[in-house]
Amino acid sequence: MSKLQVQPVARKVTAISWLPPRAGTAYTDTELYFVTGSGAKHKELVLWTTPNPDFAQSEPDSTNDLAAVVSKVPHNGDVQGIIALSPSLLATASSTGIISVYNMDTESGSMELGESVTAHKFSNGEVAGATSLAVQPTGALDVEVASCGEDGRIAFTALSRLKEPQGYEVDSTVITDLCWTTPTQLAITTRGGQIKIFDRRMPSEILAAFANSQSSQALESIAVHPSQPFRLATGTAGGSVLVWDIRDMRQPVIEELAVHEANVWQVRFDPADSTRVISCSEDASIAVTQWATEGRGAVALGVAPPERGVRRLSSMFNALSINCFDICPSTRTHLLVAGSDSGNLLMEKTVNPDFKLF
Amino acid sequence: MQNRHTATDRFVVSRDKEAATHLSPGLFPAGRQSEWSAQNRTLIFSIHPLSNKTALAVGGKKTRESLSNDTLTFDQDQRVHICGISTESDSRLAFINDTHAVFVALQQLMEEAGADDSTASAVGIKGLVKMSVLYREAMQRQSRVLADIADPNEFIKEEAETFRAIHAVWHLLEIIYLTTNTPGLSTSIVPHFMEWLNANFLAPLAEDAHRIAGGSPTADDLARNELLWPYLKKLALRGHVSVLGNMLERLAPSQLLSASAARWARSLSQLCRKMPLSSSDETAGSFNSRWRQWNEELRGHATAIGCLLGDAGEKDGGAGGDKDKALEALFAISEVMRGDLDAIAAEGEMWQDIMGATLLYSEPTARADRLPALVGAIIEQFEESAFTELDRALVALLNHDLAEFLVHCDHIDHWLSAHISDLMDHISVLDICRRVFVVDPREHYLMALGESYLGHEDLWRVGLDYLGLCRTVAGALVMEEYVTRIPLDSDRKAEQVLRVCEVYTLECARDRIHRQLGRQKWQRGRLGAAIAHFAQVCDHDSIGLICDQIWNAYISSGELTYGPTIDGVMASSSLSEGSGSLLHHEGLQFLSKYRDFHELYAAGAFVEAGKVLLSILLCEIAPAYALGDLLVDSIPLLEGDTLVFSSEDTFELMRVAESLAQSQMRQSQQDGAIDCSEMNIFNVACTRNLARSFVMF
Repeated sequence: MSKLQVQPVARKVTAISWLPPRAGTAYTDTELYFVTGSGAKHKELVLWTTPNPDFAQSEPDSTNDLAAVVSKVPHNGDVQGIIALSPSLLATASSTGIISVYNMDTESGSMELGESVTAHKFSNGEVAGATSLAVQPTGALDVEVASCGEDGRIAFTALSRLKEPQGYEVDSTVITDLCWTTPTQLAITTRGGQIKIFDRRMPSEILAAFANSQSSQALESIAVHPSQPFRLATGTAGGSVLVWDIRDMRQPVIEELAVHEANVWQVRFDPADSTRVISCSEDASIAVTQWATEGRGAVALGVAPPERGVRRLSSMFNALSINCFDICPSTRTHLLVAGSDSGNLLMEKTVNPDFKLF
Repeated sequence: MQNRHTATDRFVVSRDKEAATHLSPGLFPAGRQSEWSAQNRTLIFSIHPLSNKTALAVGGKKTRESLSNDTLTFDQDQRVHICGISTESDSRLAFINDTHAVFVALQQLMEEAGADDSTASAVGIKGLVKMSVLYREAMQRQSRVLADIADPNEFIKEEAETFRAIHAVWHLLEIIYLTTNTPGLSTSIVPHFMEWLNANFLAPLAEDAHRIAGGSPTADDLARNELLWPYLKKLALRGHVSVLGNMLERLAPSQLLSASAARWARSLSQLCRKMPLSSSDETAGSFNSRWRQWNEELRGHATAIGCLLGDAGEKDGGAGGDKDKALEALFAISEVMRGDLDAIAAEGEMWQDIMGATLLYSEPTARADRLPALVGAIIEQFEESAFTELDRALVALLNHDLAEFLVHCDHIDHWLSAHISDLMDHISVLDICRRVFVVDPREHYLMALGESYLGHEDLWRVGLDYLGLCRTVAGALVMEEYVTRIPLDSDRKAEQVLRVCEVYTLECARDRIHRQLGRQKWQRGRLGAAIAHFAQVCDHDSIGLICDQIWNAYISSGELTYGPTIDGVMASSSLSEGSGSLLHHEGLQFLSKYRDFHELYAAGAFVEAGKVLLSILLCEIAPAYALGDLLVDSIPLLEGDTLVFSSEDTFELMRVAESLAQSQMRQSQQDGAIDCSEMNIFNVACTRNLARSFVMF
């Protein structure tokens, strides 16, 4: 069990996202920025900065805080999801069913609400909480944000026409998470334990629906492999991480990894090494799971492939659920930041290969 | 009352140490309370059952009807004010979360150490010391946070004082019951007590020495410094003998000192350096021997200085006052260091100082069981009415009067009484005082702390852990009551609350929450989700009612749109634990099969569609009110080009029709006539199909 560094922030952190580099892909920023969203008593977005660990001179000593607040802004409802669209643009999903766009400037530290729209409502008129959002991976300027909610609907909101969301009811339970597998296809997970695949061009029709016949748990989160759109990872309410191969849509291949003891709130393929799946859970831990051992360059180089296993990250001072995490996409150092119900920011800067075998 | 909710204001009432809280600003204008009261106005309020919020409004004392016409009444009292009594300051959130994590880890540690007998011996004192140190680190962090607040208000100052007291109490308990019990360490409490004293009460600092010495570059300057002698006496009282030795050595060359004072300063400085220190690898006898020798030497010094002072007083009463003062101070220091109780009492300002110096110089090998006798003698010299809660708690602890100690801890802070009683329970000392209390103190204080957190939006989960981990039936009962009243704001929060029920095996609460969620979803039109929740608690009646609602919606609209609802339910019901019986719910099975029938029919698979329809009728899963519609649905299959139903199938259809007709006959006798036209068509279609089936088969 490895230790996470902890910084108390005195508010429940429910969503988190690194900002993309200001200098494009050639990342040379000495300061990194990320945004956290919180809920319960303090409903707000906070912009943080932390020194880039790739630059030795900016390495903070152990007595310093992990990150410093740049600015904060109130948020309408608990923040359920954050997507950084650019270094100056942010989209959020709220427990009041609102999708909002925030403009910010890291130089001046300003952050302000641009536009917002209510995308999720129950049929009786009550607001339905949005549970997640994902941005269409097109690279176009006018991207579309898809969101899902407790009303069983997915809503598509183009940034240029934020006030005109298109909503489609696609499930009778709660949609817990969604992701774009390709620029035209997206996948959702449901409280009913299903993955459903949709084509953006026919969003009201379900292309395929899968459930894990071997397990009896609702699905809480989903992520797509960075280079294999047919490979998905999902987190379950019982603490398992499932890796799906859906090439054969009639009979998907599922690999179940029992890595947590409670609901897996977020799951991601490690962008630096997609043979690893990272997940955070209600059991107050983060798990880095080596799910595959094939197809690695190390094998070609005559190095033994990594063994399958799991490495757990937690902190003595964090007893409650770790709700969210994000991995910095542009640093050589593996930089993971997470947020928890114990009111902590948690950070890990390197990944040590001390895997415990299954 | 609805009309009065035209607006809500949010007030914040800061926590008060006393029971009373005051609204700021008040609802009545300042100074006009009596005028408003005379005009039939008063405050009305209602307390929220779970949170720490109170609804307040200005209302009439009497109804309008009972007032005389000339009484002034007001129309503008149309506001309800929501008043949040913040029992926990946000400045404490990090501390509460940190220590909650340590508390949970401690319970796990004890549980893992021995499921049957979770005693300190099983885990080891070292483990408990580690946990205790983690608690103290959290206190120290909080103290630093409070100290860093620029321009602190009264509340922050009080908080800082409270945390200093909490740390002092905790640290002393740790020393008495944990540190001095650690295997391998010397069991003398004296060095630990001195460490505690200097860490928790303003001690002579190295900075003070630098300030005094730095501002006085020469020995003469040092001798002239007014702060010097009080500082040296404080060093002696607190046991900083090496610093004292250095200062005396530096002072000795001063020309302002008499020759004898200079000589004795130098001599005392050397004695300071020779003070014996106990170590774990030395026997008590050896240390006592060294100590007696040093003490005798010191006694000789003190006697000699005392004689000098006496002689000087006789010869020259007023001259050389400064030098005499130096000698007097040296005499006082040597008297303190030789363990003279009167001299220590004369120099010590606080009882803690006197206790420390007495232990250090008079009983250097004292153990914890010697403390009650010592503290009793010392506090007699002080006015107890001037004691703070901290003083009382510390004295009770030193006296090993743990019941009184806990009461004073609770007066200092509820956090302290809860956590310290828990620690005392783990080190098996709470049993000593359990019988004094009517209820178990650990349970009582932990429950009180947990309940105080429940109303806080960020701390409800922490509060539930305290209730759950107090390991008593009462705690579980209170928890069960509270957990069902937590607002289920979101799907994730509902999952978290259900998880709490699972962890603490709150079966009844779990069932109630599922029913609550089911009704909530039903109200919001999320029929699939509602069925899934009702299925978790096997609420067949509610599921049946929802199925009826779905069927009625289909009948009234004619559009079969409930497919996604059924799909989601069937997926969740087949997956969720404890809901296996849902699959056998007739209403759901009927709707599912009926949807399959329509899909097959629309796809042109008439034979398969017919089989599904017949299976619905044969299994008798269809509600009685749907039978007619099912038989009507069979007419196109009976009349179609393809023979779908065999003669036996047709007989079954006719049996169902007959049964339906009989029931309708009975119903018609009560309600009136029924339309039989569709049934006649069905009968004809059956007859034709029967004839065809005889020919075909």
